[in-house]
Amino acid sequence: MTEVRDPHVVGGIDDPAAVLVDAAPRRRLSKRRLYLRRFLRNRPAVAGAVIFVLLVLFALLGNVIGSYDYLATDFVNIATGPTADHWFGTNQAGNDLYAQTVHGLQRSLAIALIVSVLSTIISALVGASAAYFGGLYERGWLLVIHFLMVVPTFLLLALLSNSSGGDWRVIALILTLTSWFYAARTIWTMSLSLRERDFVTAARFMGVPGIKIVVRHIIPGLSSLLILQFTLGVVGTVMAETGLSFLGFGVKAPDVSLGSLISEGADQVSSSPWLFYFPAATLTLLTVSMALIADGLRDAIDPNSASGGTA
Amino acid sequence: MVRYLGRRLVGWLVMIFVATNLTYFLASFYLDPRSNYAGRRPPVPEETINATLSAANINDQDPILSRWWHWLEGVVAHWNWGTSPIGDSVNGQIGFRIWVSAELVLGATILVTLLGVALGVYTAARQYSAADRVAQGSSIITLNIPVVVAALVVVILAIKVNQATGSTIFYVVGSQSLDVHGFLPVLLDRLQHLILPTIVLVLTGYASVHFLQRTLLLDSLGTDYVRTARAKGLTRQQAIRRHALRTSLIPTATNVAFSIPALFTGAVLTESIFGWQGMGQYFATTLRTNDINGVVAVAAFGAAMTAIGAMLADIAVVVLDPRVRLG
Amino acid sequence: MSDPLLSVRDLKVSFPSEAGRVDAVRGVSFDLHPGKTLGIVGESGSGKSVTSLAVMGLLSESARVEGSVRLGGRELLGLSDKDMSGIRGKDVAMVFQDPLSSLTPVFPIGRQIVEAIRIHQDVSPKAAADRAIDLLRLVGIPRPETRLKAFPHEFSGGMRQRVMIAMAMANDPKLIIADEPTTALDVTIQAQILEVLKTAQAETGAAVIMITHDLGVVAGSADDVLVMYAGRAVETAPVNEAFYAPRMPYTIGLLEAIPRVDTPRGRPLVPIAGNPPLLIDLPPGCPYVARCPIAIDACREKEPDLLPVASDLGARVVAEVGEVPGQDSDLDHRAACIRAHEIADRRIGGQPVYPVPEVPENRLAAVPREERPTVLEARNLRKEFPLVRGAVLKRKVGTVHAVDGVSFDIRQGETLAIVGESGSGKTTTLLEIMNLSAPEGGDLIVGGVSTASLSKAREQRALRRDLQMVFQDPASAIDPRLTVFDIIAEPMQAIGTPKDEVDARVSELMELVGLDPAQIDRFPAAFSGGQRQRIGIARALSTNPKVVVLDEPVSALDVSIQAGVINLLDELKAKLGLSYLFVAHDLSVVRHLADRVAVMYLGAFVEHGDVDTVFDDPRHPYTQALISAIPLPDPIKERTRERVVLRGDLPSPTDQATGCRFVSRCPLHLTLDSSQQQKCREVVPELTRGSDQADHLHACHFR
Repeated sequence: MTEVRDPHVVGGIDDPAAVLVDAAPRRRLSKRRLYLRRFLRNRPAVAGAVIFVLLVLFALLGNVIGSYDYLATDFVNIATGPTADHWFGTNQAGNDLYAQTVHGLQRSLAIALIVSVLSTIISALVGASAAYFGGLYERGWLLVIHFLMVVPTFLLLALLSNSSGGDWRVIALILTLTSWFYAARTIWTMSLSLRERDFVTAARFMGVPGIKIVVRHIIPGLSSLLILQFTLGVVGTVMAETGLSFLGFGVKAPDVSLGSLISEGADQVSSSPWLFYFPAATLTLLTVSMALIADGLRDAIDPNSASGGTA
Repeated sequence: MVRYLGRRLVGWLVMIFVATNLTYFLASFYLDPRSNYAGRRPPVPEETINATLSAANINDQDPILSRWWHWLEGVVAHWNWGTSPIGDSVNGQIGFRIWVSAELVLGATILVTLLGVALGVYTAARQYSAADRVAQGSSIITLNIPVVVAALVVVILAIKVNQATGSTIFYVVGSQSLDVHGFLPVLLDRLQHLILPTIVLVLTGYASVHFLQRTLLLDSLGTDYVRTARAKGLTRQQAIRRHALRTSLIPTATNVAFSIPALFTGAVLTESIFGWQGMGQYFATTLRTNDINGVVAVAAFGAAMTAIGAMLADIAVVVLDPRVRLG
Repeated sequence: MSDPLLSVRDLKVSFPSEAGRVDAVRGVSFDLHPGKTLGIVGESGSGKSVTSLAVMGLLSESARVEGSVRLGGRELLGLSDKDMSGIRGKDVAMVFQDPLSSLTPVFPIGRQIVEAIRIHQDVSPKAAADRAIDLLRLVGIPRPETRLKAFPHEFSGGMRQRVMIAMAMANDPKLIIADEPTTALDVTIQAQILEVLKTAQAETGAAVIMITHDLGVVAGSADDVLVMYAGRAVETAPVNEAFYAPRMPYTIGLLEAIPRVDTPRGRPLVPIAGNPPLLIDLPPGCPYVARCPIAIDACREKEPDLLPVASDLGARVVAEVGEVPGQDSDLDHRAACIRAHEIADRRIGGQPVYPVPEVPENRLAAVPREERPTVLEARNLRKEFPLVRGAVLKRKVGTVHAVDGVSFDIRQGETLAIVGESGSGKTTTLLEIMNLSAPEGGDLIVGGVSTASLSKAREQRALRRDLQMVFQDPASAIDPRLTVFDIIAEPMQAIGTPKDEVDARVSELMELVGLDPAQIDRFPAAFSGGQRQRIGIARALSTNPKVVVLDEPVSALDVSIQAGVINLLDELKAKLGLSYLFVAHDLSVVRHLADRVAVMYLGAFVEHGDVDTVFDDPRHPYTQALISAIPLPDPIKERTRERVVLRGDLPSPTDQATGCRFVSRCPLHLTLDSSQQQKCREVVPELTRGSDQADHLHACHFR
């Protein structure tokens, strides 16, 4: 009944990588190398990756080359613009903005990575297992997910983090709890089609236990989606944390994050604009670079991508 | 069909009810209105505090269940959502704030949708052309500029323009001026207030519709039925307009409907920055002032918006897709 | 002869790809005269569809097209999309492979046909609608006036393909290109659609290009044949010469590799070794050289040109099929083989071009059936589903009796095939067996153990050792992220086989199914479709099962690969004493592989018995129709035999009808008198033994 179609016919090609390797046992291009090659051809994505790496290095090593601690106050230089001594200037209390930006970036990055890792893991397990097991188990999780979508999570977030005293670890935990279910729903939808794949049925007919099928056959099949979700999750978390901190419900002094720095800078944007510009630029570089990486990944793993090769 | 939508509606109402009540308990647990009086000079007497809080039905010394029952009775029987710690009516606040927010959010939604769909169609028909790549690049950047940064940059630029021209072209604070009268002047004044926050919402929002529409249209461009349409003698552009676009609009419509509640909450930051007395700003204010009743009302509003969005999405699918309509 | 309608010269098409430039079509030339039919035959990737899309100007923009395509003297290559759109649908129309996805889902079909008419003709909407009704009537759609307003999803696949043909006829085109028009359809529907296409051709006087992988379809409809391989035409000939006197080894291989429904089992098929080459940087020489049994050194030096060969059917063929009337043909007989002149009657130097492979003797065949143990038995198997309507508004509107009281037994070393159209319930039967669920009402006995007696998951797992399955689509049946080792080892790990035993067994299994054990750590992507199916077979054999369930095991494979897998299954059965339960829609494969066959219709068996008895002397009208619907790769037989074409589609097995299930489509029913017809409608025919044969049951009152 299914005749394998000609490749290259409009709409008839599922995955060019698969077709290529299918026809060519002797000239195989592994999927991973193909993805990497496509990613590297996408110049904005490579630029994003370079910026992101530089930002990470800045967060990790910025303190080494800076000469001030982010909590130290310099009473001689209060609210001064960028100088040779204070590269990003200082604030009203005399804190070195460079040191504060480095520290804020560390905080924002740490929160974003933790939240993204945790919610990717939770959403993959919940979404894939709900799709595989079906029945009441599935309906139960879907009810939880839909319910969480109705609850205004931003409010929940503010409510809970407000009473956390601004501890960034608690904020990370709360952000995880309020962010996993959107991804879980996407993963559930994708897993529904994977569940119907013959190799999953085959494993079931062999008597492989359900949870092993989920971990061994379904979740690996979603790996490209998960990588994408993770990347977008970093952007989303950074933005959410910024919003929270800006409204005063996030990281609280003396600790600083990019969001709280921007909030502080916004109040003095006419008198000391550098207090806004430096953290805002850092934050924007972080989100945009991550988004460029995500876009490059999406394009690289998109089976319909026609961006490569010449006739 | 009506029965199906009716059943969905009941489901959503139950969800809203449960979510709102859950929020009531959470808010009562986490918010501490008593702390509003801490450190006052001169100190407020304990009895006065208790009396004020009890009047607002938020005194933590009263049993939570009786407070909850009182609140629920008020909401269900009288549609009375209670008062703030200092006695302002929540109904009154929300009554006018909804319209202030709606003015901003609905206008922005329409613009976001139009701009996003138009860009999506234009770029999908020219995939990998220079125009597509430029639009793609700028959309990625605008979508990922944090709202706070975008809003503040817009404010800074507007002030620069105002200074340069020596007149107030853009208002950076508030939703309207008080001392303007007459139809045309009021309209102009509203627009002057509206334009900046709308720019921010559109700038940070259009790109997601652009990407979605582009992807969907590209998917349907590759389908067999578009090839059939071209085999009949339609040009590529005609086939896109008459066959591909129609099918790809279905998920876009669903998505826009679903994103309306997100836009309302997304307006929290914009409203705070531009000083709009809308729901978003109310949300921030009630949290800061430990206004339990206000917070719960905001939560109920958000849940209702989600439900409305979902219902609109259902209706859109039913109207646009004969496969669902005729089952 | 008059000027050709379509003249293609040295057509070349290439695509960009990650691995380099893919030369999908590498110099194809042919002429087609008005009213004639050209069959283009080839396997997937041979370039046949790309050729037709190049003619239509529908290739993606990244394709590079060279050469010349002239329609009625006008050069088509290089025309703008706007100019081409004036030709598409008007002078050249196309029917595509998959009718389910080829119509726009959100518009009524009437609107889509009217659109096709009004693009090219300046007529009123009313006149166009009238024309659409005429067209729908012509292609055999009942009640066209009301069906005009129906949406595509309200039609079956066969009906949608009729709509596609109506649309193609709308502007009386000079040329209709049909790209695998029946591949996605059942045989009974295929026969209907081929008839409709002939009607369309007669009605419009159009020339037809019939693109297909099915040599039977070509034998029945084409005047000339063009065989494509690796982007080139390797043989062109008038249809009789192509089938009775092929000169290119590839054509001969294709003809030898296909199982035929009209020959008794026993003769092994002739597989073609290897896989088609990748069309990137082809080495010099004949592209078929690696697979050709008569290749010589000269074949590797230069790609052979497509040169004329003597036009001669040969004395043996003439004696066998009689003098073939001289054809008025567009194409002279040409072959791209430097040894073509040595080949005659599929032989070279007196020896067959393809030596017939040896198949080991099945020891069990000597033991009478009754003395062999029963390995799988189904008693009164039933499966019902609630019938829900609507994508969103799910509501139950009835019950589908997908499997409605099916009983059979399979003895050791025996193959039972279940055949039927899609929707007949054959796949559900198979899944019910694999699920090992205690059946609703009936009983399922695997190796002497009744599934109703299973209480623990562990007992069920133990039973699975005896029952394994091979899936239809090898691309989907094995997890692309596991290595061959992990794939083959999975069933053994699931039943708790010790690790060192597993390691040894995997290599052994790979050898058994004809794979190189050195490739044990490769991923499935490194294997071709046929090899992947072998991996699937190795996996199924790993637990030493008694019964292997085969779900359409070769239908996703190309003809040249199919034969090798069929032979492997035959060989394994003989070597290991396996039993197969085999589900298929392709009766030719069934005839070749099965010992016994059961014909299924709407959830129940209508005929059941020894395979040769059933195929040679089918009793039930449905079986007769099924067998006669299979196209034979033999032009004279195919064009002269009687054919029973069933009307209509398979009805839905929803309502528990009284009487015979087949009554709505039965050709025999129409010939009966009214009291007999009443019996058909009111009394359910039981599966009964015919008067003479012992091992042949059928369910018809009047046979």
